[in-house]
Amino acid sequence: MKNRNHHILKIVLAILCIVPPCILLLMSFFEVWPFPQLLPDRFNAKAWGYIFQPENRVSTSIFTSLIIALSVACISALLGFFTSMVVAYHKYKKGLLLLTYLPFVLSPVIFAVCLKYYFIKMGLIGTLYGVILAQLIIAYPYATIVFTGFWNNRMLDFQKLALTLGATPGYIFSKLLVPMALPMMLVVFFQCFLISWFEYGLTLIIGFGKVETLTLKVFQYLGEANIFYAALSSSLLILPPIILLWINKKFIYNKTI
Amino acid sequence: MFLEVSGIAKSFDGRPVLQDINFQLQHHKTLSVLGKSGCGKSTLLKIIAGLEQKDKGSILLNEKEISALPANERTIVYLFQEALLFPHLSIAGNLAFGLKVRKCSKAEISEKVDAILTQLELQSHANKMPHQLSGGQKQRVAFGRALILNPPLILLDEPFSSLDVETRTSMQELYKRIADEYKITALFVTHDLKEALIMGDEISYMEKGILKLYDSQEAFINDARTGVKQEIDFWNRL
Repeated sequence: MKNRNHHILKIVLAILCIVPPCILLLMSFFEVWPFPQLLPDRFNAKAWGYIFQPENRVSTSIFTSLIIALSVACISALLGFFTSMVVAYHKYKKGLLLLTYLPFVLSPVIFAVCLKYYFIKMGLIGTLYGVILAQLIIAYPYATIVFTGFWNNRMLDFQKLALTLGATPGYIFSKLLVPMALPMMLVVFFQCFLISWFEYGLTLIIGFGKVETLTLKVFQYLGEANIFYAALSSSLLILPPIILLWINKKFIYNKTI
Repeated sequence: MFLEVSGIAKSFDGRPVLQDINFQLQHHKTLSVLGKSGCGKSTLLKIIAGLEQKDKGSILLNEKEISALPANERTIVYLFQEALLFPHLSIAGNLAFGLKVRKCSKAEISEKVDAILTQLELQSHANKMPHQLSGGQKQRVAFGRALILNPPLILLDEPFSSLDVETRTSMQELYKRIADEYKITALFVTHDLKEALIMGDEISYMEKGILKLYDSQEAFINDARTGVKQEIDFWNRL
């Protein structure tokens, strides 16, 4: 009975996860939905053709999104790893950790408004670098917080043990700590990628309309009340997370369990 | 004497943990250090291993002062309470770790790993990952990882304390056999009375940071502080 319930729960969860993206994809192939029809009308790939026309800049926004998300994920994962090591073994650990939570006290939009002045002063407003830097202010502390759990007493004992086996600190770092942190580093990379990929408020304000990511495009189509284009760009928006989930399941999760 | 520890003292935040520790240990002997939790046993081992700084005193290993040497240059291996097998390395990889650090040739590493796997009866586990082994097997690998380096001194910090009674007994027997075969010099820290008596060629008792060495097992048994008499009385009363 317990197994049957568990099985049903799994099916319900799978439906909840799979159905919305499928509906979005299906919607992107319709053209109109006149009242009082129950279902949309004119099934074709017109929207797909229209949205990939150069003047609509959807392909450019996908490319921009990818550049920003990959940069933010790489820099956050690397910097977060090193910063968390320093923070975890620092005598003012608690105070420093408290600082890493600061960017999450305010909502990203209010935070971006507060930062806007400084970005204008630095000439970073409306630039790709500016958006990457702004998103790093969120993703980098997040990566640091996640990695702090890695530097526990057990990890300290591993390092001490390796020292007595004759390893130098450099050898311990490259042959022990980095390989042991790799699964967590990949998880942090994926999560920071997703934070950046779906980021709206900061990107809108710091990007100043000049840096158009796919997320901004989706909201733009929603604002125009064009549900078919919105469904299409939403389908594109959820594609990378699905690919990342698949990579995580196939290559990382199975290896770490 | 192979190991000479003189006048070691250590305090944490003004609280003395070790007070004037003096002892000597001959080559190929094991000294048991019995003591309750928090009496300073592990701190003493960590100071000898170079993982902790002492406040004063000297440590001579083979007539050479080693206090100024960093831990990775002392060639003293410290075995923790937990096996601490590196989770990303296979059993063979764990055993080979110290040899790779010493840049031994592949052929030498392979030969030594095979030999130690046979010695510890772990041949069929060479390619397994640490999480696939039982607690006792993990401790055997940890022991082998130290042994493969043929270190002049091994420091064992309650290495069998987390094992069940049967596994613990078999590990104690294994240690005795290997210690004889490899002529190991070791300090064996434990809070288990029976284990202290079984494992040590020499025996000592630590209380509140003060170490007392006994000339014989009889002297150890007759000292009321060690708790041996209480243990004997308990079994006699049953």
